[in-house]
Amino acid sequence: MSKIKALIVDDSKIMRSAVKRALDQLMIAEFEYVEAMDGKDALEKFEEEGGIEIMFVDWNMPNMTGVELSKAVREKGDTDHIPIIMVTAEKSMGKVDMALNEGGANEYITKPFTADKMYKTIEEYFDDDGNLLTSSGDEGEEGKSFFKNMLKT
Amino acid sequence: MDKHYLNGVTEIPDKIVGRVKESVINTFESITGKRPECLEEADMGQTMHGIIGNIAVFNPDHTLSLMLAIPKETALALSNEFVGMEIPFESDDMGDLIGEISNILAGDVAANIEKVGFRGQSSLPTATRGSDLTLFMPSKPPTKKLKFEGENGEFWVNMALSESS
Repeated sequence: MSKIKALIVDDSKIMRSAVKRALDQLMIAEFEYVEAMDGKDALEKFEEEGGIEIMFVDWNMPNMTGVELSKAVREKGDTDHIPIIMVTAEKSMGKVDMALNEGGANEYITKPFTADKMYKTIEEYFDDDGNLLTSSGDEGEEGKSFFKNMLKT
Repeated sequence: MDKHYLNGVTEIPDKIVGRVKESVINTFESITGKRPECLEEADMGQTMHGIIGNIAVFNPDHTLSLMLAIPKETALALSNEFVGMEIPFESDDMGDLIGEISNILAGDVAANIEKVGFRGQSSLPTATRGSDLTLFMPSKPPTKKLKFEGENGEFWVNMALSESS
């Protein structure tokens, strides 16, 4: 099984560690982590590192917010296959809507989160062998996301 | 709801205080699994040796500032709950942790007070650590100080409502 290259973006080192710890606990796949402390740093690492396969992104960060980062990544083109998971303290439905529809994120997890909540949010992106399923944007729209379904109703 | 209903108020409206109280309890319960109890408004006592997380929920008209005052013992217990080990009180990681807890609290407060007509966004958190700390607001805006107690110890939340500059 090859490792999935995950970009973890949060201005809090504690939270980056919490996301990594949750992902390791899930055993849903093997991950190789790249960390960034804000959106600007993440965008640079996205370019420099190359091969980022999934992103976990905080919203409220200095220099560039998570939503701005998500939009910038989507605007690069040929990035629709990369799941972007917002991991944030922002909870209002307006913010969720903005992240998913304007920002182009695929999923939304509110802090504090449990490993179980993380599992339920990202399991659809992996096969049983721990490989990332490459999906089109259309499949994402029809996905199982709780928040997306909430926004549709 | 009229967004100017907060202009000129001399006390923070009860409906906002109630929502903040609810958010504090929910936030700490979801982080620690233990529900803190809100005591009646209380002074912080003399001074505190601990750490204060500062954050605000703001819009162009008004700013609700939140100060989360956590004594050292409570901060150490919270670090155990949050990361599974005790973080040294004097470390940068402790400031990071309290900042993040403040951020999570502000996210909940922002969503909760939106229901009573205050739509705002969270600022970035800051944290201040020290001895002989007291909470006060020099420009005398409407304030409210709440004390909470739980299995992880006691802590205070001070809120101030001011016009955005």
